[in-house]
Amino acid sequence: MRFTKAIVPVVVLIVLLCLGAPAQKRKYRAAKPTQPIVVSPIDTEALKGLLTQQRQRPLLVNFWATFCDPCRDEFPDLVKIDKEYRPHALEFVTVSLDDMTDIKTGVPKFLDEMKAQMPAYLLNATDPEPAINLVDPRWQGDLPATFLYNEKGEIVYKHIGRVNPAELREAIEKVVKKGDGQ
Amino acid sequence: MKRNLSILLASLFVIAGAIFTAGARAEGEVPAPLAIGATVEDFTLPDVDNKDRSLKSLAGKNGTVLLFIAVQCPVSNAYNERMEKLAEDYKAKGIAVIGINSNVAEDAAAVKAHAEQNKLSFTILKDAGNKIADKLGASVTPEAYFLDTNNKLLYHGRIDNARNPAQLETSDLRNALDAALAGKAIEKTEAKAFGCSIKRA
Repeated sequence: MRFTKAIVPVVVLIVLLCLGAPAQKRKYRAAKPTQPIVVSPIDTEALKGLLTQQRQRPLLVNFWATFCDPCRDEFPDLVKIDKEYRPHALEFVTVSLDDMTDIKTGVPKFLDEMKAQMPAYLLNATDPEPAINLVDPRWQGDLPATFLYNEKGEIVYKHIGRVNPAELREAIEKVVKKGDGQ
Repeated sequence: MKRNLSILLASLFVIAGAIFTAGARAEGEVPAPLAIGATVEDFTLPDVDNKDRSLKSLAGKNGTVLLFIAVQCPVSNAYNERMEKLAEDYKAKGIAVIGINSNVAEDAAAVKAHAEQNKLSFTILKDAGNKIADKLGASVTPEAYFLDTNNKLLYHGRIDNARNPAQLETSDLRNALDAALAGKAIEKTEAKAFGCSIKRA
């Protein structure tokens, strides 16, 4: 009898937990962003406008491609940096150099897997050389490539190859105004 | 005894650290590309059947194209047919095309199987340790170096402007080869190669 009395609250607790678990799961599912990731085409002229315009905030640009292993490897770090610094008024965009045929398939699929929230573009140019030269004439076009621009549109940091997150954070810290988040 | 063991372990740690530091390459760090007009010294690399082949023995009587290529890179693979056609077209004109695979993760057997699957008939060399890629400053696949009969670099860069052949506008490499064959100056000696980074050792 004493055993039955003792076991009842345990059973009730287990039943409640079992009932609660799906409810929590449902709650989690509802919180997931439902909007599909849209990758916008950007031509060389529009890229020039994006990079050189005067702006209110520093801009971080990552050039990447789904076929580039180091690009894929560094992406989780970039997503973390975006989440960390967006509240501190850093703009971050990604520009894919994949083929235009990947704009609705491989590129958004990968960004979705990465839970990337930054605006995503895909270079729409039959010849990528003018775009590479306008970003940085010394850049050979090898990926990934990451550039940080200040408010005047000047490059204040660049890295070709997989980023070193600590080094990138240090560069960002120099240009963002803490507490200036929107 | 304990002290000796500590000293031994500390020494091993220092030696291991020194070896690691010396061998490490910062990611993204690629030696500067060879300048136009510079001469490529003769080199020897094994082909996909592990037979040593020298640049001198493979060179064409009117020049040589070194093409850095890959097994797994989709950009390099998009050029397979174009590379084969290039090799066929210019073999008849005395220019040899030599493929070089410098990717650390792609061994000679994989390179051979890939060449057979894609009907690449030109000689492909395996650049283990990416020594030749480093010498030439090659960073991506596909990337081309066109040498004259004295191994002087005449053109460096992409094959053409477009991964997708339907968007082809400028055949930079062919233009360079045609100009050299006609005895004319090459109008565009460099065009940025676009593709997958060479995976270095």
